[in-house]
Amino acid sequence: MARDGQALRLAAVGVAAHRQGLSAGMTLADARARCPDLATAPHDPVADSRELDRLAGAMIAFTPLVALDPCDGLVLDVTGCAHLLGGEDELVAGVLAAAGYTVRHALAAHAAAARALARHGTGHDVRALPVAALELDERALSGLRRAGLKTLGDLAARPMAGLAARFGEAAVMRLRAILGEAGSPITPLRLAEPIRLETRFPEPLARTDDALDVIEELLTRAARIMEERQLGGRRFRVVLHRSDNVRPRLVVETGQPVRDPAAVMRLLRERIDTLSDPLDPGYGFDAITLAVLGAEHLPSRQIGLESGKEDAEDSIAALVDTLGVRLGEERVSRLVPCDRHLPEKAQGLVPAAQARPAPWPAGGETPPRPLLLLDPPQPVDVIAGVPDSPPQRFRWQGRLHDVCLAEGPERIGAEWWRKRGGHIPGNAGDTRDYYRIEDGKGRRYWIFRSGLFGETPGPRWYLHGLFP
Amino acid sequence: MFQTHAPSRADPPPETPPRPLWLVKAQLHEVHAAAGDWASAMAFCLAAIEADARRPILLLRVRKDRRAQMRMDPCGEGWAPLGLDPARLLIVDARDDAGLLRAGLDAARQSGPAAVVLETWGNLREYDLVASRRLILAAEQSRIPVVMLRGDAPPRASAAHTRWMVSSAPSSPLEMRAPGPPALLVELQRRRGGPAGMHWRLEWNEDNACFREEPILPASAEPGADEAPPLSGAVVSLAAVRAGEPLRRTA
Repeated sequence: MARDGQALRLAAVGVAAHRQGLSAGMTLADARARCPDLATAPHDPVADSRELDRLAGAMIAFTPLVALDPCDGLVLDVTGCAHLLGGEDELVAGVLAAAGYTVRHALAAHAAAARALARHGTGHDVRALPVAALELDERALSGLRRAGLKTLGDLAARPMAGLAARFGEAAVMRLRAILGEAGSPITPLRLAEPIRLETRFPEPLARTDDALDVIEELLTRAARIMEERQLGGRRFRVVLHRSDNVRPRLVVETGQPVRDPAAVMRLLRERIDTLSDPLDPGYGFDAITLAVLGAEHLPSRQIGLESGKEDAEDSIAALVDTLGVRLGEERVSRLVPCDRHLPEKAQGLVPAAQARPAPWPAGGETPPRPLLLLDPPQPVDVIAGVPDSPPQRFRWQGRLHDVCLAEGPERIGAEWWRKRGGHIPGNAGDTRDYYRIEDGKGRRYWIFRSGLFGETPGPRWYLHGLFP
Repeated sequence: MFQTHAPSRADPPPETPPRPLWLVKAQLHEVHAAAGDWASAMAFCLAAIEADARRPILLLRVRKDRRAQMRMDPCGEGWAPLGLDPARLLIVDARDDAGLLRAGLDAARQSGPAAVVLETWGNLREYDLVASRRLILAAEQSRIPVVMLRGDAPPRASAAHTRWMVSSAPSSPLEMRAPGPPALLVELQRRRGGPAGMHWRLEWNEDNACFREEPILPASAEPGADEAPPLSGAVVSLAAVRAGEPLRRTA
C-alpha cells in the first residue's frame, strides 16, 4: 500500500487479492471492507527498482539486449536468441522460471507492441487492444470511448490527422509505434565489463619480487579503470600461471572499498607471508592475471585541507584488513549489542571487516554490570544462607574468599520463550540470582546461583564477571 | 578523567609528590596486575589513558583456540558507566605472543586508533628491551599511547616510560552493606626521568563520572601493603638527563 495524499491506497495486489476483486489504486479502507483479513505491506519503490535491476541482470542469460520498462517491466530483445533455447515457448518458460514472480508476458515484433500486449491485452493481435493501451489521460480515453472507438483497430481505420488534432501528437505517435508504423527503439542496459587484467611474459619470470612488481603495475591499471567508474574493489584475486601449469592464486578481501594499489599490495604481501608453503616460482611464471571480483561505489575523494579524520578512519580500515588477512577475519572483531536477556548473550563479537560499529543502548537504570565477563561462567563452591542470602564465603581456583559486602539478588529468568516447551512451569530452565559481592581484598565479583531453592535440587553457584 | 583531591589526612607534609600525568600519549606504559584484579587494571588503563574520545581503542590479546580456555571478554554494558563507548572497542585475537607483539606494533604505527592496549599474561619471553623499544618508536611516531597490560607477570627490564601496579581496593560500602563504586590502589613503580614510588587510591565518582584520586603517603601505605610489591628501588629510574634524549642506539 502507498500513501496518496491523506489516503492509503493499494499500490499493487497479489493473485489471491485480485481474485477477491481488489485492484491497485483502491483505498485501503475499501479493500479492508471487502476483505477484512487483508495482509498489507508498505510500498517501497526503491526496493522495487533494485529488484527490477537484479531481474534485468538475470535476464542476460537469455539475451544480451535487456531494457528496463519502469517501474515494473522489462523489455527483452530476443531476436536471434530463441533457437538457442529450443524455440520461443522454451525461451518464455525459461524467462518465467528465472523471474520467479507472477509475470505477464507477450511476444511481438517490436517493443511497443509487446509492451502494450503484455500490459493491456491477451493474444497477439494489437488491433484488438483496448484504447487504454495508448495510456492517455482519463479525459482523452473517455472521449475516445464516447466516440465509439473501443479498440486500436477502430482508431487505425480513421485518418490520423483528426486524431492528432483532437487528442494530441502523443496519441498518434503511440498508436503508430504500437502498430509498428514507427520505430520503437529500446535502450538496452549496459553491463559493466568485469575488471580483469593480464600480463603475459615472453620469458618465464623466475623471481617472486619481479612478479610482485608486475602485480603492482596491474593494480595501478585496475585503479585507473576503477577511478573512471567510481568504483573501489572489495575482493581481489591474483592468479600466477606457472610454466608447469600450477596456478597459485592469492585472494584478498577488504572491509572498505579500495583502489589504492599500495594498500592492496600490503594485503597481498601479508597473504603471501601467511601461506603455508611459500610462493615458489619454480620454472617461472608465464602470465599473471588480476581480477577485481567484488566492487562497490567509491567516489573520488576531494583532497581536504584538514583531512585528519578521514586519514584516521582509513588507517583503521587498513589495519583491520591487514590483521584480518594475517590472523583470519574472525579474529579482528567488534563488540555489538544483541537484544537478548541473558548477560552472556546480550553482546556478540562479530568480524570488524563486516560490521559497522553499532550504537549501544544507553544504560539507564539497570543494575551495574561487570567490566569483564567470564566465558564460560566458572563453577565455584559457596557457603550461603538458604534460600535467598548472598554468599558468605566461596572457593574459586582453590582459593578461599570471604565475602565482606554484598548486594542482590538481581533475578534474571531463563529465556523460556526461546525454548521448546519453555512455557510449561518447571521447563523453562534455571532462574539466576545474581549478587555483586566484595571480598576481603577489595575485589568485586559477579556471582550467581543457577536455580532457586525449592525449584532446582541443589542449585550450583557460578562466577560470571569481575568488577573494577 | 581525573580530579585532584586533597588528601583527607590532617596536615600533609609539604613535600607531597605532585601527581604525574597518567598514561600519556606517544609513550609506552606497563600496567601490572594479578589475575583477580584484572578488571581493576583494565578500568585504570581505560580511564587513565590520554586518548581521543571518538577514535577506536584496540585491545589485543592471545587466543590460541577460541573455545579452549576460560576467557575474559569485555562486557559492553559494564563499559558504558565508566564513560567508555563499547562501540569504540576493536578486539584482535592473536595466536601467540609473538603474533600479539607484531600485531601490536602494526597497530601502534597507525595514527588512527585512540590507543593500543596489549593484554599479556605471564613471563612473555618475547617482550624484551628491543621489543619494547620498537613499541616506543612506533608510539612516538604515531603519537598514541601504547599500554602493555601484564597479568601475573614479574616486572622485567624494558624500555617502557612508566610501570604501574594496580590492585583492587576495598570500596566505601553503601547502605545495606552493598559494595560501593569502583576503587583501586595504584602504584607508580617506575618512571623514566621522574620520581616514582607513589601510591594513590582511586575511587569512582559517579556524579562527575571520573576517578577521584587520593594520594597515599608512604608512611601510611599499609592498606594494601601485605600484597603490594615493594616500593621503588627494585628498578632504578633513569636519570632525567638520559631519559630526555631518545635512545636511538638500542633500537
